[in-house]
Amino acid sequence: MSGPGLREALSWPRVVAWGWFYQLKMQAQSGFMLMTAVVQPLIFASIAMADQQAGNHGLPILYYALGAGIMGIWSTVVFGCGGALSWQRHQGTLEPLVMVPAPFVLVLMGITLGTATVGLYSMAATLLWAALVFRAHVQMADPYLFSLGAVLTVVSLGLLGMVMASSFVLYRNANAISNMIEYPVWLVTGLLVPLSLLPGWSHPLAYALAPTWGVEALRSAAFGGQPLPAIGWCLLASVFYLGLGVWLVGVVERRARKAATLNFQ
Amino acid sequence: MSAAGEVASPLQPGRHFWRVFLIGGLISYRALFYWITPWQYIPTMLAAPTFQILFFVYLGRAAGVGSTAFFVVGNCIQICSMSGIYGMTMAISNERFFQTLSPILATPSDRLAVFLGRGLPVLISGFQTCCFGFLVSALILGFRPAPQELPQLLLAVLVTSASCTGFGMALGSVGLRVRDVFLIANIAYFAVLLVCGVEVPLHQLPLPLRALAQVLPLTHGIAAGRLLAAGRGGSAPMLDILLEGLVGVCWGTAAYLLFRYFERSGRRSGAFDRL
Repeated sequence: MSGPGLREALSWPRVVAWGWFYQLKMQAQSGFMLMTAVVQPLIFASIAMADQQAGNHGLPILYYALGAGIMGIWSTVVFGCGGALSWQRHQGTLEPLVMVPAPFVLVLMGITLGTATVGLYSMAATLLWAALVFRAHVQMADPYLFSLGAVLTVVSLGLLGMVMASSFVLYRNANAISNMIEYPVWLVTGLLVPLSLLPGWSHPLAYALAPTWGVEALRSAAFGGQPLPAIGWCLLASVFYLGLGVWLVGVVERRARKAATLNFQ
Repeated sequence: MSAAGEVASPLQPGRHFWRVFLIGGLISYRALFYWITPWQYIPTMLAAPTFQILFFVYLGRAAGVGSTAFFVVGNCIQICSMSGIYGMTMAISNERFFQTLSPILATPSDRLAVFLGRGLPVLISGFQTCCFGFLVSALILGFRPAPQELPQLLLAVLVTSASCTGFGMALGSVGLRVRDVFLIANIAYFAVLLVCGVEVPLHQLPLPLRALAQVLPLTHGIAAGRLLAAGRGGSAPMLDILLEGLVGVCWGTAAYLLFRYFERSGRRSGAFDRL
């Protein structure tokens, strides 16, 4: 790599980091995102925990708290990625973002990682809720691997969000997709319902989605299992999403430029 | 209307009232309901509720609480609130967002016709979403309600859709004043899942939530629906349907009063469309 090219490549982490920081700041002040990241997961956690208490007590409360936390991260990714690009399209800032010298994929990565990070609120909120309201014993068997699992889960969901966001750039009814894909991913990835209860045909889909491995890693770390394999799968999924995202963003960026769908005019 | 500028009395509805009610309501629905195109309607109003039903049926199975019918009936009736809550919020609040509220309130049209007309398409949309939910549940989950109670079950769905529309009208009216009413609508939509006995048996909830459930839409309609689906017709579900209707009327009345209050205060301050 030549001098200017190397200098440009060295600036890429900075582009992602600042994008992540500004997105985090903006989303943390959005009422809708806070509702999605805090209120909604608490309602779903309460439903699951109340059903557990009314039912067979087959699974511990902490199981549901962790699942509901990742549900919140997924929701923030689904709505945040689509919402962020749609908002920029409404504001007319999507075109400049695509036109700046920095690769658009890095700009998008900062946005999606920042959005996924806001989802960590939901994890904190559901764990606190489980402890305070449902008197759950919230103690992690391996807090270090739990933290590592949480960070990797956020990164992998953020990168998965980047893959989805690439379609949101092209599709003007992207919010409809967001509305539709929230529940199916919650269901097939075993966030609140064990995979063993779901039909066998849904399992390959679950294994391709990062929330499955994220929640498995967190539950194993919390309950004293073996979180490393799930963490490894989460890492592998992140690398796959990154590669797929870079390719997809390039393709859709070219198509959007050609079809002139970067704004509403 | 007998003369230009004179507002027809809602107690003597003439052609003007019905024209504003029916045609005005339909036009406002087409203009203000975001999800009206098939690209929006199918994923949001049909697919998402279907996945919601499946999610909670499986959650109930995992927790070992309730039967499949418990969750199917609860969710199939609850999904009408998507149209009622979001649809009505859009139908009223979006006038302010699109800066068209002032021209509408400058017309001499009957306010009751303007207001209620927006509710009819939303009510029909909610009803058909519920029916779609029951149909999909029958096909995928093998849900079979008692055949002899089907007419009453449809009545329960219709009345619940109406009461959700009344509730949505109240939220929409609040949107004439509050800046981010969709945040409130979102919280309301998810809160009814917990509070109204949709996913959790009511007796499992703390007393304050149970008391709140009594004055919210859905609670009585779902209770009636569950009795009817189980083949337990008679006076108990009819009482619940009546209560559901009463709750809807109360919310609708409160919504209309709020609408008129915000109209009057908006006229005084000259700030109908202030965002």
